Amino acid sequence: MVEFKNVSVTYSNGVDALNNVSLKINDGEFAFIVGPSGAGKSTLIKLILKEVDMTSGEVIVNGFNLHKIKRGKVPKLRRTIGVVFQDFRLIPTMTVYENVAFVLRVIDAPKKYIRSRVPYVISLVGLKDKVKCYPSELSGGEQQRVALARALVNDPALIIADEPTGNIDPELSYQIVQLLKDINNCGTTVLMVTHAQELVEHFGGRTIVLNNGSIVFDKVLGGANED
Amino acid sequence: MKISSMKYLFGQGVKNVWTNRIMTFASFCVILVSLLLVGSMMLFTANVNRFISGIESKNEVVVYLNDGVTDETVSQMETDIKKLDNVAEVVFYSKEQAFEDYKKSMENAEEIFESIGDESPLPDAFKIRVKDISKMTSTIAQINKMQNIYKVSAPNDFADLLIGIKSTVGMISTAVIAALGIVCLVIISNATRASVFARRKEINIMKYVGATNTFIRIPFFVEGMVTGMLAGVAAAGLTWFGYEKFIEALSKQMTLWKAFGIDEFIPFDSVVVKVVLGYVGAGALLGAIGTVISTRKHLKV
Ligand SMILES: Nc1ncnc2c1ncn2[C@@H]1O[C@H](COP(=O)(O)OP(=O)(O)OP(=O)(O)O)[C@@H](O)[C@H]1O
Ligand SMILES: [Mg+2]
Repeated sequence: MVEFKNVSVTYSNGVDALNNVSLKINDGEFAFIVGPSGAGKSTLIKLILKEVDMTSGEVIVNGFNLHKIKRGKVPKLRRTIGVVFQDFRLIPTMTVYENVAFVLRVIDAPKKYIRSRVPYVISLVGLKDKVKCYPSELSGGEQQRVALARALVNDPALIIADEPTGNIDPELSYQIVQLLKDINNCGTTVLMVTHAQELVEHFGGRTIVLNNGSIVFDKVLGGANED
Repeated sequence: MKISSMKYLFGQGVKNVWTNRIMTFASFCVILVSLLLVGSMMLFTANVNRFISGIESKNEVVVYLNDGVTDETVSQMETDIKKLDNVAEVVFYSKEQAFEDYKKSMENAEEIFESIGDESPLPDAFKIRVKDISKMTSTIAQINKMQNIYKVSAPNDFADLLIGIKSTVGMISTAVIAALGIVCLVIISNATRASVFARRKEINIMKYVGATNTFIRIPFFVEGMVTGMLAGVAAAGLTWFGYEKFIEALSKQMTLWKAFGIDEFIPFDSVVVKVVLGYVGAGALLGAIGTVISTRKHLKV
């Protein structure tokens, strides 16, 4: 569960990225976050991950109050969240396999489990042939899918995807969102940031529109192809 | 943490030594040079100290006794002197023995001795070796307070000179070693800081997917440690080779050194274990501390 209570973020250069945002996303929900560039979508996600700190207000994520959380507990918080970063953030010195496996190593998962889980997740995003490649040997879309595989691999309670279809052709985009929908159907909360109007229209569901650091719209839309 | 995870992290650290070989080589060189400088300084100091203690051990205080002391008094005095803290050894040197030795040293002077007769004109004495030459003055004062003492003779000026050399060498080498140690740490942590800085993104990403600081640090720690140990082994090899060659060259002038009272330099064999362990240990420590210090800043996300 993610809850924002009157949250504002002002960056050190004076930019107000979020103004008094209040928002609640329940366990098991699927929500699109849309809005123009610079609206504060990535800032919202960075807040959840405690990559940036709020200037005022309160953020609660999966039971952690981010204002009160101790430094040593931050890794615990992050392990409950799978994130597809807008800039991918793959480790350049690791292969696709190692990038994905790393998340499991961090949580001290058994070797055997890692060996079966990682190839499975990589095949889910259609990159079976690329397991031994380094990120620099992949296209933008492929890197994005590795990032998605990494977000899924430890079966987190919450998946956040910042433009996971930004570099992917429309055909594949639908597949990716469908994958996220399927994961959501198994009980995982999913937050997806996107620019692609047609995806939102196609799938429908809760849609939150950010503009200039404020929520201007938050409703459940009927999709063209609701499942 | 599971054994398999530990293995993985250690493996990563060892692998990173090669993956980041350019930076590894830089820290390797810095540690190597530092170890060589400190190591040679220590070997030099050890040789000087050995030379000084060699002289110290030959250095004796002679205590002359009054004429006509009884054997009982002599043995009582011997035990008393032995009880003094700074006394390592006491040997009684009888007046007859002294006279014999004296006669021997003066060949071709039989006539002079004939006129003296068989009775020794020299006093009985104790020959004393002290443990610490720098405390000799107070030891002499203690002996002087005893009864039946005729005179205490000690090569005081020489002792002072030795004490001077010893403390100067000690001071200089301590200062140089301390200064080098600090310089090393600064250079090493800068060298590794550059390497860690190049990998700051990697460190950040690891943190964002939930890795703890320890988890991220272990490979860095291992990497620094391995690099330092390699430098230690290389330094030991170079020191071995260099030291033997150096001693060999100096030994060609052995008569010259003997004139200064140096009969032998410390053979490398006798210190090889200490040198190797010291180098490898110090190298590992410097490497590990250097890298771990430099990761600190990037872990705070
Ligand atoms: N680290 C930062 N320091 C200063 N200002 C920032 C920083 N990150 C973002 N901003 C500013 O905050 C505002 C919101 O940025 P944010 O990245 O949240 O936008 P966004 O909605 O994700 O945009 P996009 O769709 O282009 O990704 C922008 O005006 C941006 O310039
Ligand atoms: Mg963004």
